[in-house]
Amino acid sequence: MHDNCIHIENLSKCYDGADFYSLNEISFSILKGEKFGLLGPNGAGKTTLISILCGIFSQSAGEVFYWNNNSKVDFNEIKSNIGYVPQDYAFYQELTPIQNLEYFGALYNLSSTLINERTKSVLKVLGLSDVANKRIETFSGGMKRRVNLAIGVIHKPKVLFLDEPTVGVDVQSKVAILKFLNELNLQGTTIIYTSHHLEEAQEFCNRIALIDSGEIIVNGEINDLLQSNQSKDLKHLFIKLTGEEYRD
Amino acid sequence: MFKLFIAIKKEFLILIYDKAGLVVMFAMPILLVFVITIVQDSAFRIVNENRISMLIVNQDTGVQSKKLIKLMSESGLFRLEQGSISTKNSFKETLLKKDFLTGLYIPSDFSEKLIAKANLVSAGMMDELGLDRDLNTSENINFSDIEFFHDPVLQENYCLSVINMIDAFLKGMEGELFINTMCDRLELKETPQKLKDAMINNIIPIKRKAVTASDSNVLPNSTQHNVPAWTIFAMFFMVVSLGNNIVKERLNGSFIRLKTMPSSFILILASKMFVYLSAALLQVCIIFSLAKLTFPLLGLPELTMPLNWLGFLLVVLLSSFAAVSYAMLVGSFAKTQEQSYGFGAISIVIFAAIGGIWVPSFVMPDYMQFISVVSPLNWCLEGFYVLFLKGGVWGELQPVVLGLFIFIISCLSLVYLKLKKEKIV
Repeated sequence: MHDNCIHIENLSKCYDGADFYSLNEISFSILKGEKFGLLGPNGAGKTTLISILCGIFSQSAGEVFYWNNNSKVDFNEIKSNIGYVPQDYAFYQELTPIQNLEYFGALYNLSSTLINERTKSVLKVLGLSDVANKRIETFSGGMKRRVNLAIGVIHKPKVLFLDEPTVGVDVQSKVAILKFLNELNLQGTTIIYTSHHLEEAQEFCNRIALIDSGEIIVNGEINDLLQSNQSKDLKHLFIKLTGEEYRD
Repeated sequence: MFKLFIAIKKEFLILIYDKAGLVVMFAMPILLVFVITIVQDSAFRIVNENRISMLIVNQDTGVQSKKLIKLMSESGLFRLEQGSISTKNSFKETLLKKDFLTGLYIPSDFSEKLIAKANLVSAGMMDELGLDRDLNTSENINFSDIEFFHDPVLQENYCLSVINMIDAFLKGMEGELFINTMCDRLELKETPQKLKDAMINNIIPIKRKAVTASDSNVLPNSTQHNVPAWTIFAMFFMVVSLGNNIVKERLNGSFIRLKTMPSSFILILASKMFVYLSAALLQVCIIFSLAKLTFPLLGLPELTMPLNWLGFLLVVLLSSFAAVSYAMLVGSFAKTQEQSYGFGAISIVIFAAIGGIWVPSFVMPDYMQFISVVSPLNWCLEGFYVLFLKGGVWGELQPVVLGLFIFIISCLSLVYLKLKKEKIV
């Protein structure tokens, strides 16, 4: 058995009142320390899957196992080791980065000393030290993305879920964010990443799963997938497997 | 505890950074308390002190009109000013210009006709008793009208009560004139003292008693109504700030993010409630202190604090809790910040109108008094009325406390169900 970070077995999700499954009996594993890309068109089920893995929603059927643990998930225990960076600016723009990190750090059960220590270091790495005491509502989109990321990693999680972490940011911020994520990964954090930027995903991820209509279409290392599907790049593979029709 | 402290700190910071929200929660109600109290004070004074402003034009040169004016003046019920105006039209113009609520026009033959009436009645009496027959006394007297003018905004019952007061003075004067005339006809040198005393002293007294369950003698006035009323309004108007706060967190994904953290959502809600409850208590302290300290300096009635301090604290706490619960309910159900702001503010204005905040519900028509029960602001105000006007008897506070308690539980239950439906809790 591989050293799994997360193992998913026959996971299904049907929302209340819906007449179709958003996720339909999917099974795959994410290994410890890898950068895993969860890709797919709009409405494929990526956000639903991440939401279940983070404990936001519960599944309709199937099991999720963390860290080779065969018992059922106790999210209260697992939450301390999960970092979640949503696509939205899910923080308080009226407050400063320091005040936000203090709040979310406390909710991750960190002590006051640890919060101060980690706030300084994470803001420095993400280039936000100079604006640490300024209210976020005055920040650019790229700076807000970096604050969003800082909140998700303040507690040094074992596994980090990122939902479109670089959407709507300039090249400089994108480079800084990806550099930071690579450093985190080198320190042992498993990263689960969703994006529509396929070039970025190809460059960043070790392995991917392509999901469409609630089902995993392919799952594996990028180079293997490109070879086996005779595709020159991830974009070509994506269109080949999911089609060109709109998914609005 | 550290987690709770930080959560409270975050809510406090968000509240104090919301300048518009602070103005709505603190500056607006303070301004309203002062403005409305000053405006309503004159109206309450009319009701409670009965000093009716009246312009009198006396065209009569006789003694009786002067006596009537003297009686009205000595009664302490009127603030009289005599005008020297020749025509009724110019009298009306003066009334409008000088802003008098009422006016009295005494015709030139007033004394003459009043004496004539006394003569007529006494002659009739003498004739009936077979003591005398005065053939010179006419059978009918054509009285010129005493005309009572009033501002059209004055209510019918108010005008009638003023007319009845003047009528009572006239009846007294007529009675005295009749006795004097009878004495003259009976050739008595002066009216017997016994008769005079009997007329003046032996009037059946009517004593007014306010019905309360205690010995409280505090009468309703603009201060006793407006200070608690607009404080309640201010508390409930926090729906603008707290409602928006909750909608924003729901919509920007903060609540969802909190679900991925090892903390209870109850902690988040508790920190919000704590901060906004504290803000509501601060509103009470500021508004009541300002009213207590500054109203007498402005010539407004002094705020009389209730003796039942424990009851007062309970009503303040429950009112604050009710306001916070309602704001959380609006914030949980609103789909946008605009919806929360619009619905929240308008609903509070409507609740205030029907709940007796602007005009006390006891002066409303019966059906409106019935409707006012649906307003939580009305229950809060009833609690303050019991404390401020009815002596704060626990028995009378019970229905208010129960009503507010049910309201709070209902609001919080709906908040929980809504957040549960949205998978937030």
